[in-house]
Amino acid sequence: MDKAYANPEEYGLADLLCCAASREVQDNEIVFAGTGLPMVAIMLAQKTHAPNLKLIFEAGTLDGRPPEIPTSVGDARCEMGASRSSGLHDAFSIAQRGYVDLGFLGGAEVDQYGNVNTTCIGDYLDPELRLTGSGGNPDINSFARRTVFIMVHEKRRFTEKVSYITSPGWRVRKWPGGDTVHRRELYGAAYRGGPSAVISTAGVFRFDDESGRIYLDTCHAGNSPGQIRDLCQFDLDISRVSGETLPPTREELHFIHEVLDPEQIFIPKVKRG
Amino acid sequence: MSSGKRITLQQAAEIVKNGSSLTFSGFTIWRRPFALIYELIRQRRTGLHLIEVNGGPQTEFLVGAGCVDIWESCWVGHELYGKYGANLSRKVGNKEILVEDYSHAEMLFRFSAAASGAPYAVTQTSLGTDIHNPAYDTLGNAGLRDGKRIPKHKYQFTEDPFFGAGSQVMVPAAKVDVAVLCVQQVGEEGTVRVNGQFYSDPEVARAADITIVLAEEVVPEEYLRRESDLNTITSFEVDHILECPFGAHPTGMFGRYDVDGGFLKDFYGKTRTQEGFDDFAREWIHGHDQMSYLEKLGWPRMLSLKANTALKYSTGVKRGQ
Repeated sequence: MDKAYANPEEYGLADLLCCAASREVQDNEIVFAGTGLPMVAIMLAQKTHAPNLKLIFEAGTLDGRPPEIPTSVGDARCEMGASRSSGLHDAFSIAQRGYVDLGFLGGAEVDQYGNVNTTCIGDYLDPELRLTGSGGNPDINSFARRTVFIMVHEKRRFTEKVSYITSPGWRVRKWPGGDTVHRRELYGAAYRGGPSAVISTAGVFRFDDESGRIYLDTCHAGNSPGQIRDLCQFDLDISRVSGETLPPTREELHFIHEVLDPEQIFIPKVKRG
Repeated sequence: MSSGKRITLQQAAEIVKNGSSLTFSGFTIWRRPFALIYELIRQRRTGLHLIEVNGGPQTEFLVGAGCVDIWESCWVGHELYGKYGANLSRKVGNKEILVEDYSHAEMLFRFSAAASGAPYAVTQTSLGTDIHNPAYDTLGNAGLRDGKRIPKHKYQFTEDPFFGAGSQVMVPAAKVDVAVLCVQQVGEEGTVRVNGQFYSDPEVARAADITIVLAEEVVPEEYLRRESDLNTITSFEVDHILECPFGAHPTGMFGRYDVDGGFLKDFYGKTRTQEGFDDFAREWIHGHDQMSYLEKLGWPRMLSLKANTALKYSTGVKRGQ
């Protein structure tokens, strides 16, 4: 298989995000999958560099090896090839017990400490727009060692203060008082980690080990660090940029479009030619 | 042998009273008891208190039709076929509904507590989020926390008294009047066999005071008891049963039929406004019964959704672009 990097005209932005997400997975890890592009990314990792990863679907399929891509985690396509088909009590108990290494999540807004909002835009008690709500976002983010967020990059989404903290980042609120503390202090013995990366449509971001503040790691082709900083409401640290986000390989593109998502459910094919 | 548990769809809907608290089987767009959801809308039920592990199209239909006063859950949308719950969102904006937000695991643990007769569950999830913000206790702010069916508090915080593991959050049991399940098979005495992922069906069935099961088929109880290790819910946990083929449409049923993504996309696109919802309900719900609804959908559509019996999902359904 051709492991050479593809040329820019051979892939689209969704391919790039999918491959960047896939490369966050390490072999032998237990990975918690949500619906959508992350499912393709995880199965891509399973086909390439992480053949021994174990996949948990939130609806209750454990160590899944689906023969074709499910359209949601409740899908009948999750079951075939799995170690067990079960339910949510198993999925969340296993997560709370500490089995999960990595989870992929999404969000409408993120702040500089990785707090994510999927609940509402504007004042919670009088919102401009009610969104889907939390789903399992805070649960996976509380229980897993690492979480990776995949997000559309717009200035209004990379915000100084999220409208509502749905999912806990590195500096969170200690209730009932509401003081801001490092999540390590709050989670006690249940502390295992937290957000490790944000993959946006502009670049890949990581978090400082000590301060928990976000910084820019790589820029997707065509974006400069300065441009990306201008796309954030907070003052983005661009002093640690390691280069450009690596493009997909031809092998990865083959798996995405010929094997995993030939129906183009989540990832459209780039028209060639 | 008949146990007298069989009822009709109309009778099943009548068990759910105005003001009842209600929950369902399934997960987002899978195995939701739609035949009964439609019947509740036809019977113009009001004041419902939905308590769901997660929401989905069933939430959107009941909320759009004005049946629901309170929704306690964590998520609503149509997965790939509609990115959020537009009806719920509209009613939240108009202050026509109360929403109490928990996390997904918290909702699940709340039902597990109720299902085991415990008053609450303890967990470490979602610490530090606004889900635990005391100002955002919607039912408390509305003065509804009577300590009877609605718990006195949304949360209580504590420190682990046994092992010193630090902060813990206690979430109240989810006490519900009625659970309505939609499954592949039920026996005449109520034994349920779910094929595929059973989601949180065992917990919600046990948590509720009354459990109603809609099944693709009612089968001889003796057939299910031949291999009792394959069964999911005990006979005596089920109060009422009815046979209702394709009763989950437009949601999917493992091994039987896929999600009707086109139907959900159409619903999502057309029901952003109340007028749009009312038109959709006139077309698909009012003036219909379950048979005329299926007739309107038609054989070609249902055959495209029909699962391959070896694979357990449809190979004919169009899923992508």
